[in-house]
Amino acid sequence: MVLADLGRKITTALRSLSTATVINEEVLNAMLKEICAALLEADVNIKLVKKLRENVRAVIDFEEMAAGLNKRRMIQSAVFKQLVKLVDPGVKAWQPTKGKCNVIMFVGLQGSGKTTTCTKLAYYYQKKNWKSCLVCADTFRAGAFDQVKQNATKARIPFYGSYTEPDPVVIAQEGVTKFKDEGFEIIIVDTSGRHKQEESLFEEMLQVSNAVTPDNVVFVMDATIGQACESQARAFGEKVDVASVIITKLDGHAKGGGALSAVAATGSPIIFIGTGEHIDDFEPFKVQPFISKLLGMGDIEGLIDK
Amino acid sequence: LLSGLRNLVGSKALSADDVRPALEKMKEQLIGKNVAADIADKLCESIRTKLEGRVLGTFTTIASTVKETLYDSCVQILSPHRRVNILRDAMEAKQQHRPYTIVFCGVNGVGKSTNLAKVTFWLVENGFRVLIAACDTFRAGAVEQLRTHTRKLNALHPPQDHNGVQMVQLYEKGYGKDAASIAMEAINFARDTRIDVVLVDTAGRMQDNEPLMRALAKLITVNQPDLVLFVGEALVGNEAVDQLVKFNQALADNSDRREPRLIDGILLTKFDTIDDKVGAAISMTYVTGQPVVFVGTGQTYTDLRNLNAKAVVSALLKG
Ligand SMILES: Nc1nc2c(ncn2[C@@H]2O[C@H](COP(=O)(O)OP(=O)(O)OP(=O)(O)O)[C@@H](O)[C@H]2O)c(=O)[nH]1
Ligand SMILES: Nc1nc2c(ncn2[C@@H]2O[C@H](COP(=O)(O)OP(=O)(O)OP(=O)(O)O)[C@@H](O)[C@H]2O)c(=O)[nH]1
Ligand SMILES: [Mg+2]
Ligand SMILES: [Mg+2]
Repeated sequence: MVLADLGRKITTALRSLSTATVINEEVLNAMLKEICAALLEADVNIKLVKKLRENVRAVIDFEEMAAGLNKRRMIQSAVFKQLVKLVDPGVKAWQPTKGKCNVIMFVGLQGSGKTTTCTKLAYYYQKKNWKSCLVCADTFRAGAFDQVKQNATKARIPFYGSYTEPDPVVIAQEGVTKFKDEGFEIIIVDTSGRHKQEESLFEEMLQVSNAVTPDNVVFVMDATIGQACESQARAFGEKVDVASVIITKLDGHAKGGGALSAVAATGSPIIFIGTGEHIDDFEPFKVQPFISKLLGMGDIEGLIDK
Repeated sequence: LLSGLRNLVGSKALSADDVRPALEKMKEQLIGKNVAADIADKLCESIRTKLEGRVLGTFTTIASTVKETLYDSCVQILSPHRRVNILRDAMEAKQQHRPYTIVFCGVNGVGKSTNLAKVTFWLVENGFRVLIAACDTFRAGAVEQLRTHTRKLNALHPPQDHNGVQMVQLYEKGYGKDAASIAMEAINFARDTRIDVVLVDTAGRMQDNEPLMRALAKLITVNQPDLVLFVGEALVGNEAVDQLVKFNQALADNSDRREPRLIDGILLTKFDTIDDKVGAAISMTYVTGQPVVFVGTGQTYTDLRNLNAKAVVSALLKG
């Protein structure tokens, strides 16, 4: 299970409420301290952790609270709400329309897993009988087109790219037009890795986006990232219309909490997670089941809606 | 006013309680700058031990004392006890008529192959002939990536500038083959053809993937390279600790020697993407005690630097 460590620590902290004889300021603070430490160890952005603590504190006011109120339940529910807020931006995830041409553009930092994940996504839809294809608009990285070509060939996915055209905007436009004409339903555009500090790379991303007018821009984030995620994710979201997040490399030991800040920073939901290098190491992501699994709770919806 | 004055401890010796608030603040700052939480904890704990019982001068504040002590500790962590001098060692190997070998390893996508190409460029600029061994036989496009770099590097340093000698060559056997054997063949090829340095590219692997970690340990045990470089990205958070601990552990566990080969140094990549969140440098050197041999600062061949410990620590402690 992804983020199992974090889940265990948070559950332990919450349990301290049940063992305490009285619930007071001190108990609450101790519990929050434990939870915040666990979140920080999992790389969750420090600003988000602080906000989470403040938000829980704001809901719980011991002086105002009427006697007899179930403080335990109120605190638990406040913590749940805040945790859900970390992974749930409150907007519906984008869905492709069957029988129509859906253009999906991938963006993200260098080496985050875009190219690998492009193939995974195309394969995912192909298996569900959508007509899927790939466009390689990375002309910068050495061997980028070969990588797409080999991946796509192995998965029998049609692809478009060029060894000679240096302009990614031209390739993206040509590829998308060609596949649109041929009636493809899922057209995935892979782009070069880039970072906010290099303005020309961001400008290029905008131009590719303008050229292909994607229906969905996917921001790909590596699960091992730490505190630098937030500002990068925000910058990507400000430059192009990021509508979804995919978190990669969640196999093994990865903490994953750093990447979660991409949700708040872009206001976009996580739609899939990558759990390995192979083409089917890929799972759809849903917030509520994720949180309940994380905290080992059967049904938390009851708690949250109260 | 009173609390301000209380901060100016006169001649009284510092207690743990005196330094705790300042240390808590520092710890938070370190974590915010991407130092692993566990390491930030240990660092602050060591500062507490250092400062407890110390008597401060009249107008010295606790906060500034904590900061200065932390500064010194961090600079020390980043300053290697042992220097890695690749140019000198490669020259020595050359005189012994054997190729000098470096293995690049690390988790997926951190920049192993790209920075291997940058190191190649640097070696060629220093007059060495380089053989790149394509030992990532798994990831799609890995071989072509290195072939492209080889071509570009030779175009920058054509044979006519080097007495007709081709400075960079690629040793590859395609995909699906055993990486350790390819590395060995490459080293033999370099010895036979008088190539000075062999740079071994390996596939990215997660530190928990046991079969892949065993395969890496085998490659290193069998070939006994001169230098094992761990490539880690400056973007990585708390995971930095686990990566390094487990790479070293795998090398130790799978070695048949009494003195197993472990990680000799760190290549810290993507330093241009993190602004002032420089903490990974501290986490990585703290865990291994090994030096940062190179810092990657971009995607072109010249984006390779030495670590400037003082500049890094200043960024780390700047509020
Ligand atoms: N273990 C693991 N590795 C992954 C996963 N997704 C991608 N990778 C690996 O991460 C590395 C980088 O992946 P790429 O797809 O090349 O990344 P990219 O974002 O396209 O890189 P650039 O185009 O250079 O920016 C490769 O070694 C992939 O095999 C995952 O979910 N788990
Ligand atoms: N901004 C920046 N990007 C870098 C740096 N070093 C490498 N990269 C980029 O990171 C991406 C991944 O680099 P690779 O060299 O393919 O990484 P790798 O570790 O060999 O990846 P795998 O072999 O798939 O595990 C590429 O897009 C590189 O251009 C750096 O110092 N700064
Ligand atoms: Mg790519
Ligand atoms: Mg590589």
